[in-house]
Amino acid sequence: MIEKLNAIGGQALNDIENAADLDRLEQVRISILGKKGALSEVLKGLGGVSPQERPVIGGVANDWKRKVEDSLENRRKSLQEIELNRKLQSEKIDISIPSRMPHRGSLHVITQTTRRIVQIFSKIGFDVTTGPEVETEYLNFEAVNIPADHPARDMQDTFFLGPGVVLRTHTSPVQMRAMRRQKAPVRVLCPGAVYRADDDATHSPMFHQIEGLWIDRGVKMSDLKGTLQFLAAELFGKETRIRLRPSYFPFVEPGAEVDVSCFQCRTRVSDTCRVCKGTGWLEILGAGMVHPRLFEMAGYSNGTSGSGELGEWEGYTGFAFGMGVERIAMLLYQIPDLRLLFQGDIRLFSQF
Amino acid sequence: MRISWKWLAEFVDPSVLPGCKDPQVDGPRVLSEILTSRGLEVEGIERLDHGFEKVVVAQILEKKPHPQADRLSLCQVTIGQGEPLAIVCGAQNMKAGDKVALAQVGSSLPNGMKISQGKIRGEISNGMLCSESELRLAEESEGILILPENAPLGMPLAKVLGRDDIILSLKLTANRGDCLSHIGIAREVAAAVGTKVKFPQFPKIQEKGPQSLPYEIELNAGPMNPQFYGCLIRGVKVGPSPEWLVKRLESLGSRSINNVVDVSNLVMLEMGHPTHAYDASRIEGGVVRVRQAAPGETLPLLDGTEITLQGFEVVIADGKKPIGLAGVMGGGNSEVQNETKDIFFECAEFDPTLVRKASSKHQKKTDASHRFERGIDPAGLSTVVSRAVSLILELAGGKVEGSHWEHLPSRSSDVPEWKRQISFKSDYLRNFLGFDSGSPDFAPNRVKEVLEALGCKVISMPGNAPQGEWIIEPPSYRLDLAIREDIAEEVARCVGYAAIPATLPQLTSSPVFTYSSSNDFAVIEKAKDCLKGLGFHETLNYAFTSSAWLGQLGMRSSVELLNPLSEEYRSMVPSLLPGLIRNASENWNRHFGSEQPAIRLFELRPVFSAAGPIQSQEQTQTGVQESWKLSWILSGPRYAEGLRSERGEVDFFDVKATVEGVLTALGTKGIRFQSFTEIVSKENPLFHPGKSAIVLAGNRIAGVIGLLHPGKAQELKSRAPLWMVELDWQALIQLSRKSFDVPAFRSWPVFPPMERDYALVVSQDVSAEKLCQVALKAGKPLAKTARVFDVYKGIAVRVIFYDEGRSLQESETEAVSARILESWKKELGADLRS
Repeated sequence: MIEKLNAIGGQALNDIENAADLDRLEQVRISILGKKGALSEVLKGLGGVSPQERPVIGGVANDWKRKVEDSLENRRKSLQEIELNRKLQSEKIDISIPSRMPHRGSLHVITQTTRRIVQIFSKIGFDVTTGPEVETEYLNFEAVNIPADHPARDMQDTFFLGPGVVLRTHTSPVQMRAMRRQKAPVRVLCPGAVYRADDDATHSPMFHQIEGLWIDRGVKMSDLKGTLQFLAAELFGKETRIRLRPSYFPFVEPGAEVDVSCFQCRTRVSDTCRVCKGTGWLEILGAGMVHPRLFEMAGYSNGTSGSGELGEWEGYTGFAFGMGVERIAMLLYQIPDLRLLFQGDIRLFSQF
Repeated sequence: MRISWKWLAEFVDPSVLPGCKDPQVDGPRVLSEILTSRGLEVEGIERLDHGFEKVVVAQILEKKPHPQADRLSLCQVTIGQGEPLAIVCGAQNMKAGDKVALAQVGSSLPNGMKISQGKIRGEISNGMLCSESELRLAEESEGILILPENAPLGMPLAKVLGRDDIILSLKLTANRGDCLSHIGIAREVAAAVGTKVKFPQFPKIQEKGPQSLPYEIELNAGPMNPQFYGCLIRGVKVGPSPEWLVKRLESLGSRSINNVVDVSNLVMLEMGHPTHAYDASRIEGGVVRVRQAAPGETLPLLDGTEITLQGFEVVIADGKKPIGLAGVMGGGNSEVQNETKDIFFECAEFDPTLVRKASSKHQKKTDASHRFERGIDPAGLSTVVSRAVSLILELAGGKVEGSHWEHLPSRSSDVPEWKRQISFKSDYLRNFLGFDSGSPDFAPNRVKEVLEALGCKVISMPGNAPQGEWIIEPPSYRLDLAIREDIAEEVARCVGYAAIPATLPQLTSSPVFTYSSSNDFAVIEKAKDCLKGLGFHETLNYAFTSSAWLGQLGMRSSVELLNPLSEEYRSMVPSLLPGLIRNASENWNRHFGSEQPAIRLFELRPVFSAAGPIQSQEQTQTGVQESWKLSWILSGPRYAEGLRSERGEVDFFDVKATVEGVLTALGTKGIRFQSFTEIVSKENPLFHPGKSAIVLAGNRIAGVIGLLHPGKAQELKSRAPLWMVELDWQALIQLSRKSFDVPAFRSWPVFPPMERDYALVVSQDVSAEKLCQVALKAGKPLAKTARVFDVYKGIAVRVIFYDEGRSLQESETEAVSARILESWKKELGADLRS
């Protein structure tokens, strides 16, 4: 009897070990532990065994049963693992197939550049204000010291919409509106679209400007320089230097053209630099001290102030500056042709 | 303006230019830097001998046929020194003894040709004999250039041709009329380098008085013409100008006419004051009268045109007719011609505004008007006349018979009106420019030096007393110096802007940043960011377009440019959609490949309209209404990438989602969509009536969304269905969350909600929205949300019930549910699907 048990047990362990899959294993289990299984049959026959032998044989049988069950369990686990692995193998996907990518949008480089500049100036206390794009000739010209029949009008070819009504040629009328509105202190940036009758690779009939104006007591030309130095460093990098050259804009006196050192050939000016064309400098701004005529036009009174001196507009002075957003955007993003910005071209937009 | 380096060097010695080794080589560059740093921007330096550097005068010693080629000849030429050179030449028009232009080996000609030693058909050629076209002296030429016999051998061709000069192109600002001449520039240079201008020497013409002239000079135009200098020269020989004068004028861009006219032009280029010579025999009636033009009067001009005067102009007239348009151009009826024997020479001052008006009105922009508009030196007339008349006598002969200076009291030599004094406190410059008090660059003596170098008189300076005052008298020709700020600029400009330190302005009150706090700006930024996030590119279109394009879309603009660049840019846009639709079709055209491109573009900009006349009122009103629109278009696949089967194509509900996305981002409340009615369809012919909706803000239409009308799409050859949105920005802002409003926390239900789904059969006319509204109303207060979750053989609605304070009993939900079903049935005829 014991030999028989040992034989069955040995065979069973062997069969379990050889079961190739869970189905076979189940068959093996049934063939041993099932109602009619080999081990069950033996245990059923225990009735005919002498009472003395019964515990001994019973013990052996139970040992085998436990061994077989353990072995079954182990084999089942390992078969399950194999099966899972096989399944995982078959479920492998090609992760390089294109994703269901949502559309990626963008802000126009003019908006992006305007935001950068606004953020920079807002750090030192500038506010932002806007005004209409259709302006009176008076606010666009006369009020900012460009009288009718003055040669300075040649600087700006103007679109007319009606008698005395123009598309603003610069954002200076917004500054004038701010001066008329709040007198002082005025610390505003005026971004917006402006229009001039010009259309070629470097001029478009509509373009964008940001002008800045700071009016308060004791504002000096050195403050203008420091403010623009701050802009240059924030916009083009810490090492950027600025250079002011005397120039003429009717709304300022003294007036200046402002260059920044080329951010491309930062360490050494290169003759072949595409950005500065070998000059080492980029012209980006016009600036100056607010012309006294603007104070007069904005309704400040020309009386005696603290210092008792005539010709002072309630003691206020100010500086103003203006820049073309397209020019700066083209420099920053290295866009070769101004007209690209107004063609609605997705190939351009998706790059920025 | 063009400035001749050679001529300028006659007035300021170029060897005084700092930091320049050979003035001929680096002088122009150094000078350009000096001028530019002082606000007179030099835009370009042009060497007139460019391409001629190695072209010299040579003489042909011998000419014989090329042994290997019939059409070539073989020449021996000399340049006056060294061995004769063998040259192969293709031209036949030269003979032994001719002087020719030899491009020596190493030349790089103006037409780009590089000359090297070479063999042509077996014969060595040591250069090239040039034709006029190769030298770009003429468009076309036959044969080579034969030079005059007296051309010195070996002399650079540039010198023979008078092209041995360097031209500086200056971009002068409108305030510096005093610099529109060589003397003017010389004054700046001299001031910059600390030297004096060497003025040309010429005899002074003595004014002989009114009786010396056979004409009376009458100034009848008041302040439009404050002074007039007339001079009569008899017995001149009008003829060609000498070569130096012809070449000087040509190199400065002006054409030689005859010796008299050329002198007038030369003096203008030298001293900046336009003058004019009349044929004295053609002045009738014994008077030269400067007067207001009579309306309708005609005047033939020197350029061959005839203008009809309007009356505001000032003319120079004789007893019978106008003979010149003041400050702009002389008359053709008194022109100096070859037969002219006697000339009447005019040098006058005219009001800048007058000249500008007349020249713009009659579209005659001349060198004279350019200068008068910017102002001439009111104290310079007699010098200019002396210079010009002495040159005329020298070049055309003749004799001065009479001369007279007529002027208004404002130009009297005792206390002329232009004489002015500018005064300011001692600390003004420092307070205004911001330099350090001890700065040597701005020490009073330095300031004085700078101002005096510019020709200013320093009447008084503060010295050491803090209460002292500066009193400055600018020179007569600096009309732009009128106020103390002008003096501040002169000082800063001459010392150098670099000497001004950089400081930051002081905040004297709290900064206000309405850009983030004001609703407008914050909302603009938010809307743009939101659309970017939804996959839209921001586009910017011109604010004007063609009325034809608008017409094609069934639109019309009420605001048009009076002077557009072209018809393409005439009409101010009444909507952003025309630009966006054009963007779409241009992108379609640019796109290649079989799949439709995704087009997702937005724009946030004003559109323009006018209800009444467009004219300026009260200085600030224009009659034009600018209202901002937020518009976008979409077309093409729903996803940017992915497999074709999954990318899908956008439809109405994608469009609606983008609108809802923006509204959510802005916290906009109270916006509804409504299907098109018949009237709305008529008002919006651009939209598909069934696949579009109006956006309502309260009862006001705040926008339209939907599909481009298929009829229109076909007309426009649209490549794919195009979905469009246009929202009224102002309406949106009003209903949007203010930037300081932040949403307050709301708690979510603590007790479990219950959910019921209903499959309904209902008529097509009943909208999903209506079903939900009815459910919520009937299910109050427990029915909290109702939404359509499927549309398939009817409509499936899910209602969620809960109570904030307790768990609901099954029976309660049942009761509410029954009420809802009843209302659906009664109000909308909706039944549960059996």
